[in-house]
Amino acid sequence: MSQVETQTSTLKRLIGNQQLLLLMVWFAMVAVFTAFNSIFFSMAVFGNILLDWAPVVLMAVGQSFVIISGGIDLSVGSTVGLSGVVAAFQMQKMMTNGDNQWTTIAVGTVFAAVTGIIIGLINGFLITKAKMVPFIATLVTMGAAAGLAIVYSGGAPVAGGPDKAITLSVPWFGPFSTPGLIVVAIVAICGLFLHLARFGRYTYAVGSNEFAARSAGINVNRHYMKIYALSGFLSGLAGMYYYCRLGSGAPTSGYGGELDAIAAVVIGGAALTGGVGRITGTVIGALILTTTTSGLIIIGVAPDWKQVVVAILIAAAVLLQGFKSGSKGGGK
Amino acid sequence: MSAPLYEARNISKKYGSVVALDGADFQINAGEIVGLVGDNGAGKSTLVKCLSGAHQPTSGQMIVEGKEVSWNSPRDAIEAGIETLYQDSGLAPHLTVGANVFLGREKYQKGLLGKFGFLDNKGMNKEAHEDLERVGIAVPSSTRAISALSGGQRQAVAIGRAVSWASKVIILDEPTNHLGARQAGEVLEVMKAAKAKGLGVVFISHTLPHVLQVTDRIVVLRLGKIVANAPTTDFNADTLLGTITGLNTLK
Repeated sequence: MSQVETQTSTLKRLIGNQQLLLLMVWFAMVAVFTAFNSIFFSMAVFGNILLDWAPVVLMAVGQSFVIISGGIDLSVGSTVGLSGVVAAFQMQKMMTNGDNQWTTIAVGTVFAAVTGIIIGLINGFLITKAKMVPFIATLVTMGAAAGLAIVYSGGAPVAGGPDKAITLSVPWFGPFSTPGLIVVAIVAICGLFLHLARFGRYTYAVGSNEFAARSAGINVNRHYMKIYALSGFLSGLAGMYYYCRLGSGAPTSGYGGELDAIAAVVIGGAALTGGVGRITGTVIGALILTTTTSGLIIIGVAPDWKQVVVAILIAAAVLLQGFKSGSKGGGK
Repeated sequence: MSAPLYEARNISKKYGSVVALDGADFQINAGEIVGLVGDNGAGKSTLVKCLSGAHQPTSGQMIVEGKEVSWNSPRDAIEAGIETLYQDSGLAPHLTVGANVFLGREKYQKGLLGKFGFLDNKGMNKEAHEDLERVGIAVPSSTRAISALSGGQRQAVAIGRAVSWASKVIILDEPTNHLGARQAGEVLEVMKAAKAKGLGVVFISHTLPHVLQVTDRIVVLRLGKIVANAPTTDFNADTLLGTITGLNTLK
């Protein structure tokens, strides 16, 4: 209760409207798709949407921290591919050695996560030490990671891992699978740290006014390192998630993931100028994205239309933001 | 006489071949407001940066309460009780008043949550409100975002923040810039309150009437050198302007 009270009235107003609006957009989409084809409104379809949603929201949550801090991370999609391949080779090796399946999955997850963290730390280094702007720094690692994933894997998915990884992805808790539930828990924890802890406070502060953060004695460079490492870590986990879903580490599994992640964050109400954004917005933004894909397929529209729908949603979100900052100080 | 609260002795600062500050001596005592004035390029900003720890002087000594110090970053100076309010507002507009007042020195929840860095927003907001009230600043609510405040209110919060955290010296770089007459008056009142609290206040300004109104002593910089250092009562508007421009010198 007290936590709610401590939000600013302006912020509360912003969140209230934005989140509610997003949920309404999502309900409207569900209603429209169901009207076109009643099959859409089923546990099986929602299960599928959530399967697609989980890796997108992982990347998007990392991207939220980055965008709120005033940066951008283009490397998340490539990180998914590379970490999936790295984990796949490790798990292939362990299965050949006859290791326990669960141990293998755990070690594979660690390998994927560490790969992501390393890429994130390189991003952080390029931004804080080599003084590159985030767009360029992460464009560099995006290309490097994508290339490495292809070279390392020979361009083909790396299989031969534990079978149990695949069966993990079967929904059992309503529409949720075990990896899906883990993703929900991770997203919730990230949300708490963004909105209630010092880590999040500093993330907003550097995105809002880096000079102010620096003169308040915050170690701004170290904070950027942590943010990009977090983004890499979550993308690495998304790489492992795709492994479980596909049963192999495909170098192209995260292809275009950075754009989905950025789209989810922007639809969720964050501003690319920094200092603004909520995890709940990102969560619903990612849900809207993945619902669009599934819905269009089910009502028989070519899924390529997804890009058009997403483009319209992004434009609407940005227009709304411009309208809001233009009417600052007004309202109730 | 006891040692000054904060002192810069024979400070020089060179940027390449440009001498921005040339052997300047500067002292500030507890409970004193010192005006630092000079034309553009006279070296005011350079002196402020040396005093606040943002830059290191090329030569000379920095002394706090008789002990020599050297700052590697603003953080060092802040920890020694020297707060600086920069000309460009040092607030994060998207954060609340409370979050800004406590930026960089957050209070945490008790117990395990606090260990993980979870913040005690309620406590910070309450204390921020009390701190600002104590230095004579009326801000509607600690939970409002800075971006929802007027220019004058923002400046008031920034000054209140600096005053409430400073334990020794507060350096205010053009704090009355862009403010209306009434708001500027409030800022001057806050400076007097800081003085009454026993702080040393360094007031950098181009608005000479403000300087003459509130300071105890005025230091004039010209071309990187201190050309005058005298009680405010020795100046009037004409002689102060003359000293700054170099058209006349104090007897």
